[in-house]
Amino acid sequence: MEIELQEISDFLINIHPFDTLPQSIIERLIKSTTIRYIRRDTAFIDDTTTSDRLYLIRKGAVSLFSEDNKLLGKLGEGDICTAYCHLEKDVKFTIKVEEDTLVYTIECQAICNILREFPEQLSFLQKASNQRLKQKVYNMEDTNTLTPSLMKTPISDIMHYPVITAEQSINIREAAIIMSENNVSALIILDKKNVVGILTDKDITRRCIAKDMSTSASVEQIMTSNIVSAPATSNAFEVMMTMTRNQIRHLPIIDEQKLSGIISVTDFLRREGRNSVYVTNAIRKAESIKEIQEHCQVVPQLQLQSVQMGATAEHIGKIITAISTAATRRLLELAEEKLGPAPVPYTWVAAGSHARREQSSHSDQDNALIISDQMKPEDDQWFAALAKFVCDGLNQCGYVYCPGNVMATNPKWRQPVRKWTEYFSNWIKTPSPKALMYSSIFFDLRSLYGEEQLLTGVRKKMLKLSPKNDLFLAHLTYNATKLKPPLGFFRDFVLIHDGKHNDTLDLKHNGLAPIVDLARIYALSEGISEINTIERLKRVRGTRALSNEGADDLIDSLEFISDLRMKHQADQINIGVEVDNYMAPVEISKLERSHLKDTFKVIQTLQSYLEMRYKIG
Amino acid sequence: MLNYWFGYEAKRKRLLAKAPPGPLKDFLSVPFPDPKIPLNKAPILAMDFETTGLSAKTDQILSVGHISIESFEIMLSSAYHQVICTEGELKEEGVIIHQITDDTKSQGEKVEDVIEQLLYAMAGKAVLVHFSPIEKNFLQYTCKKLYGMAPIFPIIDTLMIARKRLDQRTSLYSPNDLRLFNLRESHKLPRYKAHNALSDALATAELFLAEIEYKKLKNSPPLKSVLS
Repeated sequence: MEIELQEISDFLINIHPFDTLPQSIIERLIKSTTIRYIRRDTAFIDDTTTSDRLYLIRKGAVSLFSEDNKLLGKLGEGDICTAYCHLEKDVKFTIKVEEDTLVYTIECQAICNILREFPEQLSFLQKASNQRLKQKVYNMEDTNTLTPSLMKTPISDIMHYPVITAEQSINIREAAIIMSENNVSALIILDKKNVVGILTDKDITRRCIAKDMSTSASVEQIMTSNIVSAPATSNAFEVMMTMTRNQIRHLPIIDEQKLSGIISVTDFLRREGRNSVYVTNAIRKAESIKEIQEHCQVVPQLQLQSVQMGATAEHIGKIITAISTAATRRLLELAEEKLGPAPVPYTWVAAGSHARREQSSHSDQDNALIISDQMKPEDDQWFAALAKFVCDGLNQCGYVYCPGNVMATNPKWRQPVRKWTEYFSNWIKTPSPKALMYSSIFFDLRSLYGEEQLLTGVRKKMLKLSPKNDLFLAHLTYNATKLKPPLGFFRDFVLIHDGKHNDTLDLKHNGLAPIVDLARIYALSEGISEINTIERLKRVRGTRALSNEGADDLIDSLEFISDLRMKHQADQINIGVEVDNYMAPVEISKLERSHLKDTFKVIQTLQSYLEMRYKIG
Repeated sequence: MLNYWFGYEAKRKRLLAKAPPGPLKDFLSVPFPDPKIPLNKAPILAMDFETTGLSAKTDQILSVGHISIESFEIMLSSAYHQVICTEGELKEEGVIIHQITDDTKSQGEKVEDVIEQLLYAMAGKAVLVHFSPIEKNFLQYTCKKLYGMAPIFPIIDTLMIARKRLDQRTSLYSPNDLRLFNLRESHKLPRYKAHNALSDALATAELFLAEIEYKKLKNSPPLKSVLS
């Protein structure tokens, strides 16, 4: 039988769940379909559309926003939007048309009728994306253990008043005097009782002093006049979201043009106990491993909360690393209390993602000890006990033992400075791919506790050798380029190199690790001491190791994949399953897939440049 | 334009009076849509023919595809495609383009049945075509043969709409830019297989929606503003 409307049918049968339906059903669905074209920046649906419909993006892109204007997701070619099916009527959201968009629409009722015999596919359409959207909207309200207190707190409970104000006729110096006398970092500027602007200490530094402007100039010239405010009836969470979104540190509370108070970011930090500052402080004061462990338990929730607040993966990595660092330090202090003072100076170093400040709540422990050369053989007993105490403690706190045994409990990685120098010298001067495979983690070290100079000394010598040894860099490259990103996606599989399919995408090994490896090689070839991957890429940007463009592309790619991983893990934390790095393509929207494909391409290109440079393959 | 249009409606009435009973008379008995109604209220039929050659006099309509647009929505339920069992053998160079073989067309329907169905679908609608002379000439010539009289019908031509838009710009364009495929590319519309009458009718319908949206018309303009 001839298939009418071949183009529509070809498109539909590549999209889940339509790919699992027989042709006859597809044709019935097509018969119920209409096509609309929506111009960028116009309304997605107008009031004339009365029936509940499902939308399938054929071309173009739209974004979904929650009631409070938080981005819920983006839909691109091949994505299904069930947001207008009546099941979701209780979810409030808006859709913004980002690109000129061609959509296929089907009435929800028609789908229900046609798919009557296909309950699985029907429930996929009804539930899958429906729940995903709902979850995103409601997540902030339920399960989250961190925000409820803020949600239930009226902002008037946290804000402070009276607010320090000044008339707009004053000059900058006078404003600064008022601010320092009252010990405030923000001043509300009035024009006869009406709020016309806000002036912060940052405005004074950035817009006046840094610009060499006279302090006798009027405050009007440097104040912010487009002020974002909130009414006193808002809850604290809403206000915090508004401030996060607008990236502002102070927000006046205004009711009917009457100023009733002001709130600053520090007010929240003070109020909201379980933020990272609070957690690290609490860990610092913990009196037992058990107490540290209890504080570390909030790490997954912290990750979830940060993702929901729209923090970047880079930022979250730093928050989580700050907590692991606090836990490690406190464990070392407790160990010293128990074992007595160290016989000779030492430094406890973190390796791998902890050193790079790129941890997620899922990270294991990697560490080592660098001890002063004054160390005598019998001193090792003390350090072995220290290592055992700390590594056991970290394991108890959720940082599981390193499967590769990169831990200070391993005598090999508990050595004096001269031995470490010898290790690095061997790795660099007489490299072998196999030895480097296990040791590359030691090129990312950060001192967490003790005498930092011990590490600095070792690193200095190492960085002097590394740029000159092409064979070493070639072996690193050989190892690093063995992890190739996938080619892309096909249907709901990940397409890997030999044409085989994987069911899931390993975000760590297929995306993050190759970029981290590339950045390390660039840094070592340039003798740069930076450890964090983004910092490394910024430092090597425009050197002979990496072009400006290459660095920018890699940073974008890293940010995209890490954000995707953070979100994926946040979803897992939210539904209470074990956190991992594996994402099934069905979880990844078509738009994200196309971004991912771009990042794979970037990684591949830069991998092959490096291979050419060191003549591999 | 307005006078021209009234001439159209008047001509329909004149033809109706002379038309022999049958499909053509039925078609002519339905008034054309009021040129003053907003475009989004106008019933539109997007149409395309594949033909055995380029001359309406010596060649024949080989297949017909059409699809209707209501309130700026393309109704896939209305999609229609039919191959006609033409007289004689097909020319090889044509078969390469439209990919309808002699075997396929021999199973097609008789031309009078297909034209009857087409006139029924066209009645009361504005007909949307990309580059209208072909469809217009072939349909008029075929009707003349079948009913002894050629109909008239209001036409919207996406090529003319696009040409108007491009003429308003200062930059030059090539005639090639006005081809259906290239105009769709310029609007970033998906690629469809060309030279199937229904695919081309659908492609024209989508292009029409993009073109009128492109003009950023806030309130729907009257139908007459897009009539050729």
